[in-house]
Amino acid sequence: MHDALNGLMEYLVLGLTRGSMYALIALGYTLVYGVLQLINFAHSEVFMAGAFGSYLVVERFVSEGDKPPWYGVLGILILGLTSGALVGAIVAYLLERVAYRPLRKRGAPKLAFLISAIGASFFLSQLAGKLFNRLNNNTFPEYFDLNKAVFHIGPAKVSMIQAILIVSALIMMFFLDTIVSKTKLGRSIRGVAEDAPTAALMGIDIDKTISRTFIIGGALGGAAGFLFGTAFVFSNTMGFQPGVKAFAAAVLGGIGNIRGAMLGGMLLGVIEATVPTAPWHGDTTWIPGGNAWVDVVAFIILVLILIFRPTGILGERLGRAA
Amino acid sequence: MRTRSLTKLASLSLVGAMALTACGSSEEDGGGLSGDGGGSTSVVTIAFEGPLSGDNAQLGINEVNGVKLAIDQANKKGDLGFTLKLLEADDMGDPAKAPAAAATAIQDKTVMGVIGPSFSGASQAVAPKYGEAGITMVNPSASNGTLQDQGFPTWHRIMPNDFAEGPAAADWLATKAKKVVVISDKSAYGDGVARSVEAQLKAKGVKVVSQSAAADTTKDYGPVAQAVKATGAPAMFYAGYDAQGAQLAKALKAVGYKGLRMSGNGVKSSVFTDGAKAAGEGWYLSCGCQDVLTAESSKQFVADYKAMFNTDPSTYSPEAFDAANILIEAIKAAKAAGGITREAVNDAVDATDYAGITGQISFGENGDLPEGVGVVNLFQVQKGQIVGLGDIKMAK
Repeated sequence: MHDALNGLMEYLVLGLTRGSMYALIALGYTLVYGVLQLINFAHSEVFMAGAFGSYLVVERFVSEGDKPPWYGVLGILILGLTSGALVGAIVAYLLERVAYRPLRKRGAPKLAFLISAIGASFFLSQLAGKLFNRLNNNTFPEYFDLNKAVFHIGPAKVSMIQAILIVSALIMMFFLDTIVSKTKLGRSIRGVAEDAPTAALMGIDIDKTISRTFIIGGALGGAAGFLFGTAFVFSNTMGFQPGVKAFAAAVLGGIGNIRGAMLGGMLLGVIEATVPTAPWHGDTTWIPGGNAWVDVVAFIILVLILIFRPTGILGERLGRAA
Repeated sequence: MRTRSLTKLASLSLVGAMALTACGSSEEDGGGLSGDGGGSTSVVTIAFEGPLSGDNAQLGINEVNGVKLAIDQANKKGDLGFTLKLLEADDMGDPAKAPAAAATAIQDKTVMGVIGPSFSGASQAVAPKYGEAGITMVNPSASNGTLQDQGFPTWHRIMPNDFAEGPAAADWLATKAKKVVVISDKSAYGDGVARSVEAQLKAKGVKVVSQSAAADTTKDYGPVAQAVKATGAPAMFYAGYDAQGAQLAKALKAVGYKGLRMSGNGVKSSVFTDGAKAAGEGWYLSCGCQDVLTAESSKQFVADYKAMFNTDPSTYSPEAFDAANILIEAIKAAKAAGGITREAVNDAVDATDYAGITGQISFGENGDLPEGVGVVNLFQVQKGQIVGLGDIKMAK
């Protein structure tokens, strides 16, 4: 029993790490859905662009094997996060201008947006392949010890990179939550989400608000791209898998609902890490084959939750984003 | 995803159609050089098909250099009675591009045999085409364990396939550990290797824990690595490719797994050592390939190769060198027996019994090395380099 608990703790940490990535990406889906009722399938490529963009910046300052002091590492991390966020924001902004706004102006049907989103997704992924490479194993330079234990939760080690992932995700989510619930911009986003024509009558510039929503979602996705690339690998096709998962996480939490996306992302990450691997110690898992079933388990749970709560765990609270 | 596979299919069938027309026309012309006995100016071409550009180009370059060296040496001897030429067919290691590359070789009537394709997927795609055209294939590196059983008419392979390598690796592992975690990447190659390793381990009385981490969908190897650690097994074997192997290596290091880590030929590359960095240190790798720099039989080859290309030979260079020499010998034999035709050359390759630098080579009924022939070597990553430890049967 003790072994199982210890094991569970280790998987929980792994799950929260994975989940914080899902949550950051899921926010991009949910924000856009909130204001446009549009599933922005190209968001996974915004995530990818953030990884490549931040790489180009980071590799100018450090190279493999460098050992900068802690403030150097911190500086590079902040630089990576901001450059990733910036690239993500730019790509998301352009995406909205090129792929969605023309359709919106012409009052195109919802299906046209979907096709446009998928087209933009392929375009961006292939463009990155053409501009950079099509390798599946690009890595950031290793400029600090990723595996260094920062602290322990019981027997489970939380490594440097896990702490960085989780803490930066939490900070960004806190900021987003504050922006949406406390600022004027947040109020206009909520206004557009609740009832766009009325919001326009109240003097809110809808186009600007939508643009800014894309920029915020893109910045979070781009920063997630940097974090993901630092922890794992990055490639021109890296967006697809996490993108699908993050979308599922957004639905799980209640699409359009910002706190729902955060909760859904974390929950999905934890489910993926803990359910197929139960009972968390020893040779055999309760589900024979264990990790091979990770996607099956994740989506079965998604379906089960949607059966009982069709609008997700926290529900679609369009307009009352926070 | 759907769009891509449709495009692939379309281009495949288009190129396939082109290749078919191509070999149709060469048949009408009677297969080229037949009956050309004495002319000292005649040209015989050896084709090489493999990745010469793109991500996997290094492997193709290793091989084509081996072929170039063999051809150069044969031409310099001056007793051939014909001139050997090389045709380079670049398939980028991609099954979708292989038919176009094969078509260039098949269309050239002076091509009497092909070395390659380097990769299993590409071999699978074009082996029937070479077969139809009657061009003998001598393969130096495509290791998939099912290629030999598909009745490709002109298939020959000079190194042990995955089903020979897996059990050899398992025999060695069994001397090290009584419990082994075997992780499959769920690819055609990885699953085959995993199954043969597991079966042999079980036969040796070793407890096997099966795990899997699909190569195309697993991005985060943390939970898999944690699961390996949770079993407490003193050894693990990864059946998959280099890029993902590097990811797993990093994750295993992150969770603090201390056991023996091993993998097969799919991981034996600089992609693994560069990707895994310090986490790859100490990994054992089995490979049905020669450690060129240490093997006694290849000393002369290494010196010649270095003189010609100004770099050390690398993975699969000696195999390609042997494959080319087998083909050259077969062409000579065909000439002596009456005439150089694609058919005669293929028959001569079938009858090969050749002492190469990688071992004594002959071909069984299915075109592979006979059962039990072919040396599987053990390697280890030491200080970021893949170092040969010799024949796995003798290794400690």
